[in-house]
Amino acid sequence: MTDHRTGGRDGFRRLVRAEWTKFRTVRGWVAGMAVAVTLVVALGLLSASGSHASCGMNGVETACTLTAGPGGEAVSDRFFFVHRRLDGDGSLTVRVNSMTGQIRLPDAVPGTRRVVAGVVPWAKAGIMVKDGVRQGASYAAVMVTARHGVRMQHDFTGDVAGTPGGVSPGSPRWLRLTRSGGTLTGYESVDGRRWTVVGTARPAALPATVEAGMFVASPGDLTVSRGDLGGASVQVRFTEATAVFDQVRVEGRAGGTWSHDDVGVAYEADGRTPHHPGRFAEAGGTFTITGVGDIAPSAEGTRIESTLTGLVAGLIAVIVVAVSFVTAEQRRGLIRTTFLAAPRRGRVVAAKALVVGAVAFAAGLAAAGVTVPVGAGILRANGNAVLPVSTLTELRVVAGAAMLTAAVAVLALACGVLLRRGAAAVTAVVGLVVVPHILATASVLPLGVAQWLLRLTPAAGFAAQQSVPEYAQVLGYYSPQGGYYPLPPLAGLAVLCGYAALAAVLAVVRTSRRDA
Amino acid sequence: MHATIEVIGLRKRYGRTLALDGMSFTVLPGRVTGFVGPNGAGKSTTMRVILGLDTADEGSALIGGRPYRSLRAPLRQVGALLDAAALQPSRTARNHLLWLAHSQGLGARRVDEVIDQVGLGAVARRRAGGFSLGMRQRLGIAAALLGDPPVLMLDEPVNGLDPEGIVWIRGLLRALAAEGRAVLVSSHLMSEMQDMADHLVVAGRGRVVADTSVAGLIAAASDGRVTLRTTARPEAMEVLARAGARVAVQDRDTLTVFGLAAERIVALLGANDVPFSEVAAHRASLEEAYMELTRDAVEFRATAPGDETATS
Amino acid sequence: MRRELHAEWTKTRTAPGTAWLLSAVVVLTAAASAAVAATVSCPETGCDQDVARLGLAGVQAGQAAVAVLAVLAVSGEYGTGMIATTFAAVPRRGRVLAAKAAVLTGLTLAAGTVAVLASVLAARLILPGNGFTAADGHPPPSLSDGPTLRAAAGTVLYLALIALLSLGAATVLRDSATAAGVVCGLLYVLPLVPLMIGDPGLRRLLWQAAPANAGLAIQTTTHLDDLPIGPWEGLGVAAAWAAAALLGAWLLLRIRDVRA
Repeated sequence: MTDHRTGGRDGFRRLVRAEWTKFRTVRGWVAGMAVAVTLVVALGLLSASGSHASCGMNGVETACTLTAGPGGEAVSDRFFFVHRRLDGDGSLTVRVNSMTGQIRLPDAVPGTRRVVAGVVPWAKAGIMVKDGVRQGASYAAVMVTARHGVRMQHDFTGDVAGTPGGVSPGSPRWLRLTRSGGTLTGYESVDGRRWTVVGTARPAALPATVEAGMFVASPGDLTVSRGDLGGASVQVRFTEATAVFDQVRVEGRAGGTWSHDDVGVAYEADGRTPHHPGRFAEAGGTFTITGVGDIAPSAEGTRIESTLTGLVAGLIAVIVVAVSFVTAEQRRGLIRTTFLAAPRRGRVVAAKALVVGAVAFAAGLAAAGVTVPVGAGILRANGNAVLPVSTLTELRVVAGAAMLTAAVAVLALACGVLLRRGAAAVTAVVGLVVVPHILATASVLPLGVAQWLLRLTPAAGFAAQQSVPEYAQVLGYYSPQGGYYPLPPLAGLAVLCGYAALAAVLAVVRTSRRDA
Repeated sequence: MHATIEVIGLRKRYGRTLALDGMSFTVLPGRVTGFVGPNGAGKSTTMRVILGLDTADEGSALIGGRPYRSLRAPLRQVGALLDAAALQPSRTARNHLLWLAHSQGLGARRVDEVIDQVGLGAVARRRAGGFSLGMRQRLGIAAALLGDPPVLMLDEPVNGLDPEGIVWIRGLLRALAAEGRAVLVSSHLMSEMQDMADHLVVAGRGRVVADTSVAGLIAAASDGRVTLRTTARPEAMEVLARAGARVAVQDRDTLTVFGLAAERIVALLGANDVPFSEVAAHRASLEEAYMELTRDAVEFRATAPGDETATS
Repeated sequence: MRRELHAEWTKTRTAPGTAWLLSAVVVLTAAASAAVAATVSCPETGCDQDVARLGLAGVQAGQAAVAVLAVLAVSGEYGTGMIATTFAAVPRRGRVLAAKAAVLTGLTLAAGTVAVLASVLAARLILPGNGFTAADGHPPPSLSDGPTLRAAAGTVLYLALIALLSLGAATVLRDSATAAGVVCGLLYVLPLVPLMIGDPGLRRLLWQAAPANAGLAIQTTTHLDDLPIGPWEGLGVAAAWAAAALLGAWLLLRIRDVRA
């Protein structure tokens, strides 16, 4: 019976209900969604259980462990620290006179080390207050870098830029760090008289008594070489930096004398000799400090979303179901019956999209909700260092996978309406969503092309599953292959949803105009 | 080759449904055989088994004494119309017939002949997807006629045809039968068969419940009732009762007479000077006969079916 | 067989999608090959790239159109129910499958040859601009070179095998969307599975078994020893997939009722 008052909200609700009934009563479609969930879970757990890792420490194989920062994220915390105790409020002032260093380059002759003088862009020298000398402890610091000017950083992820420019013997840089309760303020000056504020920070867990002092760190040099067909291999090589400090002044209740620690240094197999040690010398109030390493968030480890490798396979099953949900009707003429029952055809397409999107969301949520926590558990049990993320981030990864699945389902449905032929629609959507993602992440394209693919195609939506962000203050090879998407999670999802919405609108318009 | 279809003891089960339960009949040349029965009686399944599309669990179906799947150019032996909508909508009508012709070693000339024969000449080069149901039926019939076969088998050919089309197909089938071909036409509506078929095979619940001529079926269903309208009711009742009839009063001037033919009633009343205004012999319609036969054989009825009244 | 071939040829010729899809095979292959050639470069310090493989990389895109063409050749008939008419006209169903396979193979070989020639031409035009010159020891692909000719001819054969694999899969599965999904999974997702496996032996075996990985080994002209499978053996794996799909299709056609 045709109800001529199908205009209202009730009418649409009834349409949605009818489409839901249609969906759940076709065994193949329900089975297809179950296949999608199974593929994601099975492939995810298979790849997790196939991934074993162990870390050698002094010849003893141990499970890989990560240093966690105060925010729970994985960090690298290695530097040379010359420090003394500071009770309560106070301030520390130094002048940084120079920064030099050396970098190991790729061997020109195999086996022969090639070391040149120079500093890497993110080599750091400055002053810091830190909750002891334990790796991962809370801190705030103001520093000069080789290429990125003065920075105020705290707790590994916090980073505020000051004025640009480095230091050299002719143009030193004064730095000051002042503590007032829980707040630290960083200052810089070119002459020690006129000071400007770089920034303030409230580290998460700074106790009343902290270690305050000078530090130097120099992250490894990153060399990216292009492999066959555009794949890349990344090498990190040793570097060190040396900075000269003077005019050191501590105000407040400072205790003890200057002591020094090579924080986070690794030892050779004998357990005593430090590997790439830092150095320190003091003469007449001038401190010369050499440091190796970095104080920054770390992405060395396995990510929780690596368990979602089966998502591409699951998505193909979802695409098949979503396309069939509309082409099966068009083919057998049932669509005429459907349009008789609901003459406003655009609303039929909208109702179908809503139903298939909701079902796909539920399937994606179920699949990722099982795979991510269980897969991460298997990875940890196999000795892998899984990069820790907050519960909120984990939920976002799972919800992102579900949203991705839902948006792809709507896109597939709309393409089914537009192309009418099941095979063409399935292949087109696979070509739009799955293939660009595979091309971009499975190492067959140059980095730039891979990134543009993940910005412009619907495959941008895969960004929703990235759990570890890219940090501007860490030099890294941020490639899709390594799990870094060029767009932030929500922006990537927005690109995909934009495609899905555009296709859905075209489908609605086309349906309204075309004969059934 | 004899122009016959022989269906011998077909049985077929789809899961828990028994679609064919010993279906047996023969279609002879020179006449139109109607294949009727309610929906679900097994008509389409039987035709699909005859065409080798479905395999029967038991029994056999022969065309001119041979199984369909052994025929070399089958469309020259049997022309069939199964589902008129079953064609690719983007292909033109002529091209649809052309590939069929090529599969039988026939040329384009034969295609143009059958297109003219079914009256699709004007639209032959249009996409078949845009055809009305009636035009698709005509295209399906053209495909059946393509090989000029001695046997024709059409599943519900009247579906979707306008009255003019129904008259056309009736004439066409009768003409084809008159040329000595065997023609089997299925329908779930007996009324369509009344002026089309010479012989009827009535199916119900997967088997044949009647295999008889149209006249025979009607005679079997008629029970010899005669309605008499007269102003002299008592006199008429007396005369007829004396002649051995059973008479029932219907209203003030209408009687129903059992046991006497209408001609005999007219003669008796005339001889006795009893006035009457109308004598009408009741003849069962084909529809009534069919309903009577298949009453117990309807698959989709709510009540439990009773014993079948098979007469085959 | 002549009648069956004639009928299938007429069917394919008069289906409006055929011309579009064959053009898509050529355009997608050539365009994607050209795009890959345009984005790679050979620096002064030298490079280690397989120019034949680079120049033919677009087949990754073109094979999708081949798969759609093959799937539609049979699923299109199942979807509309016309398959009943086809099998009523030619009751020996194996012959229908053989005729379809023959027509499809012919068309794919023709389109594949054009696509591969266009790809090689594009690579010859584009690669020298990116540092691939004979002077630097990296000549652009040339068909007069034995291994390059093998890569080019093998790519055409690979496309035909993908067509046959898709045809078999579509006949088994009947539904066009499902068949396209399964074929896309085989072509694009199955090659990823070895990356998810930890055990090196199993990883190598799975790599060798995936039709797209193994089949495209035919394009390799350098470092042949590093491949888990030889070029012709790899093409043999793709052929085995196609043969298995067609055999399954033939068996099911024999025993299965034709679904309306």
